[in-house]
Amino acid sequence: MSRRYTFPQAALAFVIALFLLVFLVVPVLTVIFVAFTNSDGSLTLAHFRSFFQLTLMREAFYNSLYVGGMSVVVSSFFALPLAYFTARFQFRGALLVQTLGVLPLIMPPFVGATAMQLLFGRSGSLNLILGDWFDFNLPLMEGLNAVIFVEALHYFPFILLNLTVALNNIDSAMEESAQNLGASGFRLFRRIVFPLALPGYIAGAALVFLKVFDDVATPLVLNVTDILAAQAYFRITSIGIDDPIGYVASVIMVIASMAALWGSTWVMRGKDYATLQRGGSSLATRKLGPWQAVFAYGWIALVLLLVLSPHLGLALLSFSKMWSFTVIPETYTLDNYAAVFRDSPFMLWNSLLYCGIAAGLDVAIGTAIAYLMLRTKLPGRRLLDFVASAAVAIPGIVLGIGYLRTFRGFNLPFTDLPFVSFWMIIAFAFTVRRLPYALRSCVASLQQVHISMEEAAENLGANNRRTIFRIVVPLMAGGILAGFVTSFLTAAVEISATLMLVSATSDAPASYGIYLYMQSIVGRGPGAALGVITVVLVGLGTYASHRIMRARSMRFETLQALK
Amino acid sequence: MAKVKVEFQDIALAFGRTEVLRNISLSIEPGEFFALLGPSGSGKSTLLRVIAGFAQAQSGRVLVDGRDISAVPPWKRDIGMVFQNYALWPHMTVQDNVAFGLEERKLPRNEVKHKVAAALDLVGLADFAARRPSQLSGGQQQRVALARTIAIEPKVLLLDEPLSNLDAKLRVHMRAELLALQRKLGVTTIFVTHDQEEALSISDRVAVLDAGVIQQVGAPVELFDHPASRFIASFVGTINLFAGTLRVGADAMVFESEALGTLALPGLPATAPGEVEIAFRPHVVALMEAGAPVERGLIRLDGCITEREFLGEFIRYTVRAGRADIVADQAHYTGARSFVPGDSVKLGIQPGQIRVLAR
Repeated sequence: MSRRYTFPQAALAFVIALFLLVFLVVPVLTVIFVAFTNSDGSLTLAHFRSFFQLTLMREAFYNSLYVGGMSVVVSSFFALPLAYFTARFQFRGALLVQTLGVLPLIMPPFVGATAMQLLFGRSGSLNLILGDWFDFNLPLMEGLNAVIFVEALHYFPFILLNLTVALNNIDSAMEESAQNLGASGFRLFRRIVFPLALPGYIAGAALVFLKVFDDVATPLVLNVTDILAAQAYFRITSIGIDDPIGYVASVIMVIASMAALWGSTWVMRGKDYATLQRGGSSLATRKLGPWQAVFAYGWIALVLLLVLSPHLGLALLSFSKMWSFTVIPETYTLDNYAAVFRDSPFMLWNSLLYCGIAAGLDVAIGTAIAYLMLRTKLPGRRLLDFVASAAVAIPGIVLGIGYLRTFRGFNLPFTDLPFVSFWMIIAFAFTVRRLPYALRSCVASLQQVHISMEEAAENLGANNRRTIFRIVVPLMAGGILAGFVTSFLTAAVEISATLMLVSATSDAPASYGIYLYMQSIVGRGPGAALGVITVVLVGLGTYASHRIMRARSMRFETLQALK
Repeated sequence: MAKVKVEFQDIALAFGRTEVLRNISLSIEPGEFFALLGPSGSGKSTLLRVIAGFAQAQSGRVLVDGRDISAVPPWKRDIGMVFQNYALWPHMTVQDNVAFGLEERKLPRNEVKHKVAAALDLVGLADFAARRPSQLSGGQQQRVALARTIAIEPKVLLLDEPLSNLDAKLRVHMRAELLALQRKLGVTTIFVTHDQEEALSISDRVAVLDAGVIQQVGAPVELFDHPASRFIASFVGTINLFAGTLRVGADAMVFESEALGTLALPGLPATAPGEVEIAFRPHVVALMEAGAPVERGLIRLDGCITEREFLGEFIRYTVRAGRADIVADQAHYTGARSFVPGDSVKLGIQPGQIRVLAR
């Protein structure tokens, strides 16, 4: 393009920058600032010293790292065989594996955690059976194990999906040329297939770590409080917004998340080879041998059973009157659903409203940043992209604390209402938290639009604005829609920032409602019912968008291949 | 359609520190079919993008019909461009693609419809109007791209490697079709290619670019027969090149080189003596059996066949003569005399076919 940028582009960039500054940069910097300063504003490391002098905090720190790391290990244990089966063998389980990959993402871990306790806990269904038959107990749900087990079961799809994509992107010529040169079997795998797929695995593993580190609700539901996120939450909510220890915990969480993220990009730098050539084909798939088939299908069945267990457990719980010390509930009822429809339909509306606003803003900002970054030479465009993406490394708790601290003392314009208790702040938190995903989706779809598509339009007489609306946006539509759906659905199950920011129950979204219900034994039933309703709605949304997007992508596929 | 002239005046363009175009001055006549020929990285596509307005020259002017268009945005230039990858919009049907430029010009709907039909008819795709680009073959996509561009009746037609995505047979066919279409429309056409055969076969004139500089401009025959430099000589067609010294001999110019020894070049047009290269095309070298009498007036050399390539219409021999390897093409027809590697031969070269290039 001839011009570096136009005035409207610069104005748009300014508005986005302002939004990110107010709702991301300043709150996070405030948290960091508070952690490093005395009440009189002078710099200090004293808060960090007192943090590490507290035994509980030291434990929380190690526990958080341990849970994050072990969740990656256990997730890999579930995901690696599944990814390998789909990429290397011809078998009917491919679709199953895909479904299996998405299922746990639809339901956030804290929703199913109670049900998991009832199924796999000390007096849960599995151990009741094991105890009766073998006089033996599996400590799956004891202490930190519980968190690791539940988190891994929910987040292993990140590894599965990333790794499967990476394996499928390896051109068969890569493998064939190695075979041609004499490599085969495990050596072929170790020297060619594994290194080529590694970036996918690392990306998935980093995401799992981030997610687990960010999650505060699951440990709380499972009664595990000696981890960082929970301690930060308790410190701020019980001791108060001025307690520096909560801020130190927050800063450590941010550092650990950033380290995981940057560590993964550092390991992958220069290694993200998309080797699939134009007209190339993916790795050859082999027929399963009889023993391989037994193992493959057996593994899938086992993982599927585990993956579905929180869903089944939740469903059982939602229909049960009372469920304890029995393998399955003994009396069933619809009262829980009645209670939910009586007491909390407004929460579903709140969710719809907040998530709608957040997803709409996300794709608008995402599309704008993608365009500014890929199609203009606006100074600072990369910084905009970087800041928006950096939100991925900010745990929800930290963002929530940042908002509370930054905006305290501010009132809504023309009212006496404090800004932090305004419901829009929850929607803004969702927007910032889901922006990285929507942004990546928009950037990827714009990258697929060859610049000559736009040049052709300009050549035929369409100006900048007309080109954007007639060519760029329609061609990006798939990515924009995908971004919207991802933002919306994942915001619908967001809990960590929500936990900090909900100031009145009437403003609470459904995810908060579920959490609240699950706090008490009597609330479990209605909580499960609300959980089931949310999960079903989110699942339907995912399915519908998947159908729409598949129809679209089939239409464009042939031409995309030409480029 | 009014035919317009395109002029470049001292165009210079750099991306950062990389100079892409230098001192480009060129005048393309109204209605001409003009080729920009050069190896990849020579700047030829960038020059095309300068005309279309997608690249901005740091200095110099582009005149279309005598008017400087440097400050005109791409969408107001009325210069049609067919992109190398066609750039057909996958979310629009063929007719929507073709209608786009007309709609942007706010033509009445029935006129748009009429012109779309006419353009598709012209490229023989009237029956494919409702298809999507992805449902067409490469050749058909190319025609749609062409129809989309000519529908707006551009002042100048730009073609960026238009045939490079087609297979060999289709390329030759489309090349003839392109020329016929251009002659019919009479629109000044500039056409970028790296394929010298393509450039020579259909254009009225060719500009050869290398390293961002125009090396030579001329009609195809002129470029082939009188290359201005070593680069042109070897880029346009195949040629034998030998470096040496030219001096004035008793009754003719004498060329001395390590490879060929001392050669008298009778009948050579007056040339300044000095360090030069001599060049001659493979097909002007006649090959004869070792003992055969050689026609008078030819430059004679003795040699031995080292390689032989059968190319259908002719056989390409590599002949070792002294310390030189000379490429010689011999027309092939049924019953023609041919040689095999190892044969001793005599070479005869018409002095008039030898070009002397300054070094």
